[in-house]
Amino acid sequence: MTMSSNRWVPKGAGVGLRLPHLAEVVATRPSVPWLEIHPENFLANPHATELLFEVRRDYPISVHSVGVSVGSVGGIDHVHLRRVRTLVDIVDPVLVSGHLAWSTHDGEYLNDLLPLPYDEETLRLVAAHIEEVQDSLGRPYLLENPSSYFGFDTSTMSELDFLCELVRRTGCRLLCDVSNVYLSAHNMGYDPWRYIDGLPVAAIGELHLGGFTPEEDEAEPGAEILIDTHAARIAEPVWQLYAHAVRRFGAKPTLIEWDNDIPSFAALLAEARRADEVAARALTPQPRRAVAG
Amino acid sequence: MRIRRAVVDGNTTGIAFLLIGGRDPGQRLAIHQRHYRSSLVAAIRTKFPATAWLLGTPVLDEAAQEFVRRHPPSTPCIAEYAEEFPGFLSTYLGAARVPYLCSFAELEWHLGRLTIAIDQPALALDAFSTFEIRTLMDTSLTLQSGLRYLRASWPVDDLMKLYLTDTAPAEYRLAPTDVWLEVRGSRGEFHLDRLDAAEFIFRQAVLERQSIGAAAERALDAGTGFDVGRAFTTLVRSGYVIGTTSPDRGGQA
Repeated sequence: MTMSSNRWVPKGAGVGLRLPHLAEVVATRPSVPWLEIHPENFLANPHATELLFEVRRDYPISVHSVGVSVGSVGGIDHVHLRRVRTLVDIVDPVLVSGHLAWSTHDGEYLNDLLPLPYDEETLRLVAAHIEEVQDSLGRPYLLENPSSYFGFDTSTMSELDFLCELVRRTGCRLLCDVSNVYLSAHNMGYDPWRYIDGLPVAAIGELHLGGFTPEEDEAEPGAEILIDTHAARIAEPVWQLYAHAVRRFGAKPTLIEWDNDIPSFAALLAEARRADEVAARALTPQPRRAVAG
Repeated sequence: MRIRRAVVDGNTTGIAFLLIGGRDPGQRLAIHQRHYRSSLVAAIRTKFPATAWLLGTPVLDEAAQEFVRRHPPSTPCIAEYAEEFPGFLSTYLGAARVPYLCSFAELEWHLGRLTIAIDQPALALDAFSTFEIRTLMDTSLTLQSGLRYLRASWPVDDLMKLYLTDTAPAEYRLAPTDVWLEVRGSRGEFHLDRLDAAEFIFRQAVLERQSIGAAAERALDAGTGFDVGRAFTTLVRSGYVIGTTSPDRGGQA
């Protein structure tokens, strides 16, 4: 199924709206082009949902699910999907997205985004689930590339090939988390720039930027593994990769994510402004140098 | 299933050889296990700060670690997770050691849940002015969603107030006493009040959607002096009633 694509382009980078900042945003209406929420933070919190409906009047909202598990072999949790749909219908978001991952098994929710083997069987499963989610929500569902620490010996294709084939089969669009590209490439030993170059440009609907935390790889003293904590500023090499992504994909809605050790809202806005500056520079045509001789 | 076992139980038997990445990909699986445990233990700590104050954070954390291993969430909405933690905590530590622990933690759970409720517009007494008395007795009421009625055999409300006001003395003697508590919360605030047994039974029965007459009968069993007219009027005047269901008046209002 190919769904009509939302080509909304905001005036600048947005930030993830987390519960500790909700009252402040309602009270002060800070200048930020758009906000993204995790529906799972609101579905069981009527007071927060009421405040969200207020925020929604003044800001475009994107809904980014962490609980719709498109990679679960047991199928989509329809109860949860219905709850997300109810919220989506009321908020009327500019974008709806989730992750290429699984998090539920046999009625249990493992509170993490767990990796998938990349093979034909998983491709069919995820494609069917994406279509189900898009049908249920009645909107395009952007899929985010995961942060990876390990892969599966049984995978028959790369993550990049898997995503490209998923786009081809379902017509879904992609949320390119530039930090995840950098982190996964570092942890799994591939080139993040070539990964960005391999993504289908027309499918990219949103970009994410988040902080990670380096840890020593216990199995390899002296080597670092990057942990997707969303608890730090965006690392310098990720800004460079983001500039490359903007040059390749053009201006796309970009979001700053910060979910743990959450700083002041002003600190998030500063990161968003930096994203705007990096994107503006990336999109400015470089003057050609005269070559002597 | 094997990944689930590795994440929840830390048991990586029969899976490490399937993984690739780094020198020891099996060890990298522990990153997800750590995240599962630490994020859920942190969520429990956030929901039960008074219980942590009572027991000490290390004791609460130890129990929470075991709880998340035995009881993974059943929903992606973590705000709904750990309702069973008070009962688990009491069993895990041994009910005899802190006999009021379960009631105290239950009270804290409800305070947290009710604080995020929202009040709906309440019905005024005028709304009932045309009701015949017999119709009124057959009517059931819908109360605000931020109301709960909790009975405890210890004065856990006093203990909670000591925590909330940061006025705990160096030594505090807690004696068993039956308490009937009403907790009402909305939009970030809550009230915690004691009721007498008959009032408690009446209000709890009304909350459970029993008819006013049936709720009154149960309250009269607990206290012959119970005044249903006064109890009903107080309930409405407190802004608790948001709807009615009356068989003689064609259903819900």
